Amino acid sequence: MYYVELLLVGLVWGCTYAMMALGLTLVYGLLRILHVAQATVFTLGAYVGLLVANHTGSLAAAFVAAGLAAGALGPLIYRLVYQPILDKPPFVALVASIGVLIAMEDGFRLVFGPYGLSFAKNTWFTTSLRFGGLSLNLVQIWIAIAAVVLLLLFALFATRTRAGVAWRATVSDPAIAESFGVSVSGVRHLSFFIASVLAGVAGVLVGLLNNLVEPGMGSVISYKGLAIIVLGGLGNVPGTLLASVLLGVVESFGTVYLDKVMDRDAIAFMFLIVVLMIRPQGLLGKAH
Amino acid sequence: MDYYLSVATFAALNVILALGLNLISGFCGQVSLGHAAFYGLGAYGAALCSVAGLPMGLSVAVGMMVAGAFGILTGFAALRVREDFLAIVTMGVGFLFLGAVRKQAWLGAEMGIAKIPSPLDKWGYAMLAIGGAVALLLLSLHVRRSWMGRAFGAVAQDEDAARSIGIDVSGYKIAAFFIGTAAAGLAGGIYAHMTQLIVPDAFNFVQSVTILAMVVVGGIGSTLGVVAGAVLLTLMPEMFRFINDYKLLVYGGLLLAVMRFSPEGLAGLVHRWTGRRLA
Amino acid sequence: MSLKSPSTLLVAAALAAAFAVPAAAQNIRIGFHAPLTGFAASDGKTALQGAELAVEQINAAGGVNGRKLELVVQDDQGKPDQALPLANKYIGEGLKVVISGSYSGPTRAAAGVFQNARIPYITAYAIHPDITRAGNFMFRTSFMGEVQGRAAVKLIGDSLKKRKVTLLTLNNDFGQALSAGFKEAAGKFGVQVTSEYTYAMGDRQFGSIVASVKKDDPEVLYISGYFFNGGPLVAQLRAGGVTAPIVGTEGFDTHNFISIAKDAAEGVIITTSLDRDTKLPEMRQFIDDYEKRFNVGAEMVAASTHTAVNVVAAAMRKVGADDSVKLREAIAATKDMAVATGRIGFNALGEVYKAAQIQIIKGGKFRYYAVIDDPVLLAPPTK
Repeated sequence: MYYVELLLVGLVWGCTYAMMALGLTLVYGLLRILHVAQATVFTLGAYVGLLVANHTGSLAAAFVAAGLAAGALGPLIYRLVYQPILDKPPFVALVASIGVLIAMEDGFRLVFGPYGLSFAKNTWFTTSLRFGGLSLNLVQIWIAIAAVVLLLLFALFATRTRAGVAWRATVSDPAIAESFGVSVSGVRHLSFFIASVLAGVAGVLVGLLNNLVEPGMGSVISYKGLAIIVLGGLGNVPGTLLASVLLGVVESFGTVYLDKVMDRDAIAFMFLIVVLMIRPQGLLGKAH
Repeated sequence: MDYYLSVATFAALNVILALGLNLISGFCGQVSLGHAAFYGLGAYGAALCSVAGLPMGLSVAVGMMVAGAFGILTGFAALRVREDFLAIVTMGVGFLFLGAVRKQAWLGAEMGIAKIPSPLDKWGYAMLAIGGAVALLLLSLHVRRSWMGRAFGAVAQDEDAARSIGIDVSGYKIAAFFIGTAAAGLAGGIYAHMTQLIVPDAFNFVQSVTILAMVVVGGIGSTLGVVAGAVLLTLMPEMFRFINDYKLLVYGGLLLAVMRFSPEGLAGLVHRWTGRRLA
Repeated sequence: MSLKSPSTLLVAAALAAAFAVPAAAQNIRIGFHAPLTGFAASDGKTALQGAELAVEQINAAGGVNGRKLELVVQDDQGKPDQALPLANKYIGEGLKVVISGSYSGPTRAAAGVFQNARIPYITAYAIHPDITRAGNFMFRTSFMGEVQGRAAVKLIGDSLKKRKVTLLTLNNDFGQALSAGFKEAAGKFGVQVTSEYTYAMGDRQFGSIVASVKKDDPEVLYISGYFFNGGPLVAQLRAGGVTAPIVGTEGFDTHNFISIAKDAAEGVIITTSLDRDTKLPEMRQFIDDYEKRFNVGAEMVAASTHTAVNVVAAAMRKVGADDSVKLREAIAATKDMAVATGRIGFNALGEVYKAAQIQIIKGGKFRYYAVIDDPVLLAPPTK
């Protein structure tokens, strides 16, 4: 039973990672940018969601508002930061992205205060469902549902819609896609929008799960997100999902069994390094 | 006076760190997001030896070797993975170092190592750090002009092409990692003796990013640019003390602004204004 | 434009720094550094507010020997390497006394510098044991971790009468010191540590710890940590069905802990220095004034910096503010002084002795539960 519980915990962690990492992998697949600043999109979503929830009392409104705010910020970052430096070496975008993260984190602190904010009413968090000896609260269950539904929607989008086909065409070859009449710039904006909405929704869910929204809440999950997309094989969507879930489970067991050896972040990155030394192209990536 | 001395010492340490990273990332093209781990390895190695009774010079040398040895290991990793994969692996090395040290009782865990003997005075450390920075500066300038520097450049530009003309790509990558991380170890050893105490958090990811930022703001690949970048980013928080509350906001904004408007950093600016390339 | 604006800013900054004239030279300047930005900014802000309140109160009452106090505030970002230049800057500006409103890393880095310069340095709430061991100019107004850990053992063994404890330890110097003190004293009170799990500063998700606690089924939990990780941890334990009593530390001593953990915070007992139902006038006044001034409940961190400022002011009243060696002697002689954190005095090492306040959270508020005033058990080390 204990192991089942650890496994469940790991799967829920994996779902939050997946929502964050899918967006990162979308951006990477398209532009070869390690989008660290996604963390600020995640945090903005959490703050907007919390403020709306505390103001209106409606979680539905909170999710919509968070998704929209995040969905606006992501493409904005693309326009103002990445687009002008796309032709530069990749570390230029990376350092710019880190600059955005540092500045925005401090911006959140200045605007919302250093203490973090809590939800006035968080019934999802306080309501637990019990099955046998297991218990999960509603936030954990919603995280799992949200992850599955959003990822399914994404899969449908990518395979069944015109925009999705255009997106995949652009990933494999922007020049050819453009010659077939695909608006490459439109596809890029759309990708940032999707990635950011996912991150914003994930931000609210993690905020609910911790009952705490704070300025620096996005950074660690975003670093791990980068580890996950590399682990999955950069730009590879199924690999990213597999890596998210695996990492969640490894952390869940690792925090208990490797407690005396290393901390949680180190466990995650050790797993990454070991896998990459064996499979340099990532779990599902194609060899060069 | 003491204040200026300590700022100068930190500026010199940062120059050593940044030039070391520049050797790896600028000359040889291997982006590293975990340089602070080697700074930490040098500090811990030197601190352990010094506390055990070894003289400072020897302790610092051991710290350099420890950092360099792990640098070689990381260099081997760089043979397996490239570019963005490598960036994330080195970031992982940083997190792994930190997360492991935090839990090791014999390394003081979160309490760090205290009471490290400190045989020099403030002037001594300042001179030592500045001396180290100047030595590394000269080494960098020399390497750039030497055969080794050209080989580094070839690896940075196109590994496969470099290999096809008979350059020992693996050897040069490992050499770059060794020199760069041993330099970080030197900075760590001086730091440990000067502050007489080290804690894991001083060598975290933010520190790695700060070092990378010095390299990039200065102009990756340009030795003089990187020196300027390291000095500038050390002095900046000091100059901005009067805006305490907005310091990080300005710092992050500056990183962004440099990347956005002058991706080649300060060296790029000099080139644009004077038409001359900085060494 | 875009290129010039950062450099213009830099030049302006350099000029401003070069020509800055110290305002009101006749004020008594007290150094105060805290993490105002970065990961520990929340405690930094609270710490600064406590010190500011003390300075305002003292100045409103006529200052010290007719001169007004003035805090010279610097941000150390919670980083040791920021603290070193900062300490030297204070010394260069001729300050005679400095207070740390910061964590152990920066405080310990600065301690050696101030000791060498023979400037009294008062640590408000950083808990690393080596800080005061830097020398005789070092003082601390908060409990050492091991002392507070011992208080918790007595609480669990004597008052709660529980035996089997699981420790959930924050993996930093604060958590490790508490855990060490707890384990060392456990045997004396028949308390048995059956398991221990650690977590990191940045952790907010504790599913695997909750599962492990359920498996171990202890009689009581002893949790070290701060409100931002302890709050979610306590909430997740309760949501996961863990009903054992929870004993926390002064790290939970803030209303933020209650607003995060909500109903799960009910019944949590903490060891701290602040008694919300106190009869001691100085403590009562601090609690009321703090709430009035900043519109939030008083907390331990603020009480500690408030105490530090008052200790300094009291010493200055005795020996003046211009001789750091005499100031040190006066501070060291502090005995049974009534301040926001109780009646305090320093031992030979510069460590504080004071009673441990045991508070329980009831109806969303901290309330009196017990007080442990045991000079033997709570005696800080003397060397």
